[in-house]
Amino acid sequence: MSTKHSKAAARFLSNEEGSQWHNQSIWYVRDKRDTLSKGLPEWEELRNLSSDIKRHTVTHLDQYLEKFALQAEANGVIVHWAKDAGEHNQIVYDILQQHQAKKLVKSKSMLTEECHLNDFLISKGIDVVETDLGERILQLMNIKPSHIVMPAIHIKREEVGKLFEEKLHTEKGNSDPTYLTKAARIHLRNEFMSADAGMTGANFGVAASGDIVVCTNEGNADMSTSMPKLHIVSMGIEKVIPDYASLSVFLRLLARSATGQPTTTYTSHFRKARPGGEMHIILVDNGRSDILGDELHWETLKCLRCGACMNTCPVYRRSGGYSYTYFIPGPIGINLGMLRSPQEYSDNVSACSLCCSCDNVCPAKINLSEQIYRWRQSFDTIGKADKMKKAMSYGMSIIFNNPGLYRTALKFAPIINKLPHGLIYNGLNAWGQGRELPSFAKHSFEELWKKGQVK
Amino acid sequence: MNSKDAILANIKKNIRHTYDKPEINIPGIHYPDVIQQFIDISETVGGKVEKLAQDDDVNDLIKRCYPDAKKIASSLPEITIATTNPNTVKQAQDLNDTEVTVVRGEWGVAENGCIWIPQAAKEKAAYFICEYLVILLSSKRIVHNMHEAYQKIQFNDYGFGTFISGPSKTADIEQALVMGAQSARGVTIILTDE
Repeated sequence: MSTKHSKAAARFLSNEEGSQWHNQSIWYVRDKRDTLSKGLPEWEELRNLSSDIKRHTVTHLDQYLEKFALQAEANGVIVHWAKDAGEHNQIVYDILQQHQAKKLVKSKSMLTEECHLNDFLISKGIDVVETDLGERILQLMNIKPSHIVMPAIHIKREEVGKLFEEKLHTEKGNSDPTYLTKAARIHLRNEFMSADAGMTGANFGVAASGDIVVCTNEGNADMSTSMPKLHIVSMGIEKVIPDYASLSVFLRLLARSATGQPTTTYTSHFRKARPGGEMHIILVDNGRSDILGDELHWETLKCLRCGACMNTCPVYRRSGGYSYTYFIPGPIGINLGMLRSPQEYSDNVSACSLCCSCDNVCPAKINLSEQIYRWRQSFDTIGKADKMKKAMSYGMSIIFNNPGLYRTALKFAPIINKLPHGLIYNGLNAWGQGRELPSFAKHSFEELWKKGQVK
Repeated sequence: MNSKDAILANIKKNIRHTYDKPEINIPGIHYPDVIQQFIDISETVGGKVEKLAQDDDVNDLIKRCYPDAKKIASSLPEITIATTNPNTVKQAQDLNDTEVTVVRGEWGVAENGCIWIPQAAKEKAAYFICEYLVILLSSKRIVHNMHEAYQKIQFNDYGFGTFISGPSKTADIEQALVMGAQSARGVTIILTDE
């Protein structure tokens, strides 16, 4: 009955100290989020409004995208449309080729992760440099993010110290975060200076003005676009929003939900190319327009990618981002993975206790846990139902539908109490792993009731 | 069919119910003392706040804040201590090693310490590449919240503007907060028009 998630979670938990640290640090972020949200009397109203604006926008997505593209073009920006990851990657490469660009500095973008852009560009000989500190650490380690906002949350400072010793020639044995951050600053400064092109994602695309809005704490999106003359933006089509009035709603929610900050340090609005430069926006579908047609799951398109659902999730905090098989972990990742491919990513659906905490923190009010429940209900249809659970459900349906059989079964149930431990607690009984089962009562409620012993 | 048409056609085909645009008329938070709130939150996010006294000179104040600064970038005419002008440098890279950049902020936001800085010189790199950023802000131009701010902010022909709230920071190594990731490691806000 073990899924890939539960097996990987067991490996994660075998490092007791590390897994506890992970749980506690992420809970700390959730706690900061709570404090900040309670500082705004209008918090819940903001969440409702954010959900309503997103519902409106994604159900008028064609109109807003056309408006956005027209505005951006009027600002002199070159707009591209990509049906899928392959087309997106090719467009990026073609633009770089046209400019004979060899080195690309990038700020954080989960969409380019989704498209596997870096691997593609590197295979074509482009020098790709991630410039968010966490992303750069992961890139130098050749591993993937384990969280969408805090990508290197699972890495210890000693590991970073060792990595920088080798790659950036820092002092041996020095793993002080301030020292290491400074070393990375110097290293990345050189990359910014010599880059031919800068790439950013987009937190929002404003249809009324054509602005691309990018939020960072490090200022790396701004550094990536201030030196090179070429700026390429990779933007999922669901990131378009109507206007500044809408933007103010989302921005008030985003950083508070994500990291428990009142805002990110930088909220940059890119409307035009640099003087003498060129700005490109690639609008990427890659399955999003199909999600719109899914009556049960289209609201996942409201997601702001803040990561609050991960921070609050008891399963995520105690199993880590790598336990999930989709590149986005946690509640939103479970859903997005299933929308990508139910056959490939169904292992994550069990990584949910249906506590519904994610629904209560989501700044776009996506019904995340309800959606996970719905996926579970569809498992039999897609051929992913667990064979043992299915057999047991079948068995239980026979017992519960036959009162005589039920009573007989109940009468003999206490025998289990006397069975040898090894017969009950073994690999076949998943419910007996890591816990003791309650013992069966000698007499059933019905029996006691009939004898008048229920008071 | 090209990709644009294909994407738009698929969106149209897949939209099931449509939802109306909600009215965005939210009563954003208001503070009894908007300037004090702005000062408090600016310090919380790691910035420093100085008030320019009536008989003081802004250049003197900046020098007192950063006595060792040699390379100072600004395109503001009143900043006479500037050694580099981001308007006239040959390329953005020439601004590297800038110790202090002085800019004017257009609007401050009391709820989160954001200051709206529209690009006002050829090389916006000046705002990010410096070790320390000094932002001049009129205390008459502080609004309560982001809803108010977005009704006020303006763009110019450069087509770039940014809200900055405190110094560049990161917590990517074990959640330890470090100031000065890739951009300015310190921010001083000078409030004028007291």
